[in-house]
Amino acid sequence: MAENVVLDIQGYSKNYGGDNKAADNVCLTVEAGDIYGFIGHNGAGKSTTIRAVVGVLDFTEGEIHINGHSVKEDPIACKRETAYIPDNPDLYENLTGIQYLNFIADIFEIDTEKRKALIQKYSDMFEITSDLGDLISSYSHGMKQKVAIISALIHEPKLMVMDEPFVGLDPKASFTLKQIMHEMCEQGAAVFFSTHVLDVAEKLCNKVAIIKQGKIIVKGTMEELTHGQSLEEVFLEVEDEK
Amino acid sequence: MRNKNIILLTALLKSSSLWNISKYSKDKKKRRRVIAGIIGFVFLFLMMLAYCLLACLGFDALGIIDTVPVTCALLISTIAFFFTLFKTNGYLFHFKEYDMLMALPLRSKDVAGCKFLYMYIKSLPWYAGISLSMMMGYGIFAHPHIAVYPVWIILSLFVPIIPMLFASFLGFLIAKISSGFRKKNIIQIVLSFAVVMFSFSLRYIVEALIRSDRVADLAAKASDVSETIGTYYLPAGLFANAILSLNSQALFAVFSGILLIGLTLFLFEAVFALVGRFYRQINSALSSHEKRKNFQMRVHKRGVLNTIAFKEFRRMTGSTTYFVNVALGEIMAAIAGVAVLMLGFDRVVSIVTQGAPIPTGILNPAIPLILYFLIGMMTSTAVSPSLEGKNYWIMQSLPLTKKTLYRGKILFQMYLSVPFMIFGILCFGLFAHVALLDMLLYLAQGVALCAFSATWGCVCGVKYMRLDWENEIEVIKQGTAVPLYLLPNMFVTMGMVALVVWLGTRMNTRLITLALIAVVGALAMLSYRKVMRYASL
Repeated sequence: MAENVVLDIQGYSKNYGGDNKAADNVCLTVEAGDIYGFIGHNGAGKSTTIRAVVGVLDFTEGEIHINGHSVKEDPIACKRETAYIPDNPDLYENLTGIQYLNFIADIFEIDTEKRKALIQKYSDMFEITSDLGDLISSYSHGMKQKVAIISALIHEPKLMVMDEPFVGLDPKASFTLKQIMHEMCEQGAAVFFSTHVLDVAEKLCNKVAIIKQGKIIVKGTMEELTHGQSLEEVFLEVEDEK
Repeated sequence: MRNKNIILLTALLKSSSLWNISKYSKDKKKRRRVIAGIIGFVFLFLMMLAYCLLACLGFDALGIIDTVPVTCALLISTIAFFFTLFKTNGYLFHFKEYDMLMALPLRSKDVAGCKFLYMYIKSLPWYAGISLSMMMGYGIFAHPHIAVYPVWIILSLFVPIIPMLFASFLGFLIAKISSGFRKKNIIQIVLSFAVVMFSFSLRYIVEALIRSDRVADLAAKASDVSETIGTYYLPAGLFANAILSLNSQALFAVFSGILLIGLTLFLFEAVFALVGRFYRQINSALSSHEKRKNFQMRVHKRGVLNTIAFKEFRRMTGSTTYFVNVALGEIMAAIAGVAVLMLGFDRVVSIVTQGAPIPTGILNPAIPLILYFLIGMMTSTAVSPSLEGKNYWIMQSLPLTKKTLYRGKILFQMYLSVPFMIFGILCFGLFAHVALLDMLLYLAQGVALCAFSATWGCVCGVKYMRLDWENEIEVIKQGTAVPLYLLPNMFVTMGMVALVVWLGTRMNTRLITLALIAVVGALAMLSYRKVMRYASL
């Protein structure tokens, strides 16, 4: 495995018991500095793949490595270097925002000074600092999403995995998140995220994979895939073809 | 740095702590609800304390005060077992924040262990309430050695853990087996019912075992009872030995105490080593659903009320916890009916009352109430308003009035309870040789009782509606509406059974049944009107 590979998925398949596979021999590689978009219809297998990458979903076929650690063999080492933001984050509603962020920081053993600085930095960027003392149950969907994003950033992950991260975010927060994604990649981390918003993927990602009925049908750099076309045109074309 | 398990456990406890909510919530209504919850809890706690002290008084009067430690251990163990059995699905497995927790660098074993300890600590005030009040009673009447008190307090902290582990392990087995099936939910419901029914019948099995050991004269052989129970349920025996032997055989007492603690810790490690191994696999399977992709367009048209009732039906069958808690009484009534069909009414009465000399026919006027004791034990309407939870917006955004919504919920409860009530009454009545007119009156009384259960449950459910829950168990097992419906209903029904049987020996039983139909019908009507008043607020 190349030294700069952050996420390596080889032959990953997931079957829920019937004849249809939710993920079928998925292979892809995310390198340091990549912003990798994972695109597909609803039910194509994006979340099934993402949940296996972050060690939430059990799987038997294939191998997934994060920074050289196997998700199956050494899940804790993988999780230490990964941050996950689900599409609909279920946070502890009866904790305040700051209590939740402290909980995550404690689990990742982040020292007080560093956590304070990072929480301050990201909560200021997402303009949520003054709300951190309130119960999460009083937050809007977007505010919960912001807390989930901050909690993912405060341990400075090598790999950020996000499932539909822009859903529910206001335009400014979306812009801030994109900025942070670029910053992370400049510092040698990688971002792997699913989205339906093809315009965002086209502008943001340097690599893309399109998944259909559990199979990767196209993958590569944005230039390789588009050849002067828009990503939307490419997506509709390959979806109809295969 | 603190241990990660402690960090997780603290977060879990904080996330459901009333103190945290009342401290940080700006919502006055929410804070008021927290205070009302605390007052209700204190009230229940005091009731429990009084009950335990009175029980000790009774034991002393019978001259069997030395059975208090083993009784205390058994009582705590039974409550701990059933509390946990009903909570495993939803707390230990298939919980809401599973993805968030499992994506953190925590071992599966630790997540499961912390979830278990969270359940334990949340229930600990109840166990401690029983333990401390029985210790007080024992102290007052038995005048034990001073060292008994600290030993009692320390050991009683460990007593609930083994039954909780046992219940969790059963929950694990149920989850493991059902996760291998396509229809996971149905398998889970069937297995849960089987385990609950078997657990209930354990009482009769244990009693039969004790009786076969010829320990009949309780007053004369109190120590034998402790010993026999200790033989069949070791943790209770160890607890009792540690308390009772402290004065005479201190070494044996210390050994028993250490053995109880050691056994508890060993079982905790063993259970969670095993659960941890399969934790991700089970949760993955339980949270995943295969798509059949073979749908052929078919649509059904229903009336509005039936649509709501159907929605309630799907909500109930979609959740093992909800189904097992709400439909338990109906299933028990069906089992009782089948038992009567197979064994006859008198034989079933004889088994339940352990051969008490009950004259034939004396229980007949109480048949609907006996069945109501089972069927009315719980009602879906007490929890279904709260169970709308975060999906309440769906109902709110539809062109439906609250009145229609609550009528639909009441209708569903009637659909659920009435067939079981009728089946039970027919089985009981036929085998008790009840006359046709009496049978018709009993059926009318049964339907009236079902209507009362549905409407009174709805009053409780709407009055204490709580939509901001994290886990549905908070509503189904811990919501204010549930004890408000359940406790008075249960005690009043028990009292009514006794009263009707007693009155039946003194006056015309048909008059009693007619009077009951009128009273219950009026109460159902009043409750219904109350629900409609709430709906128009």
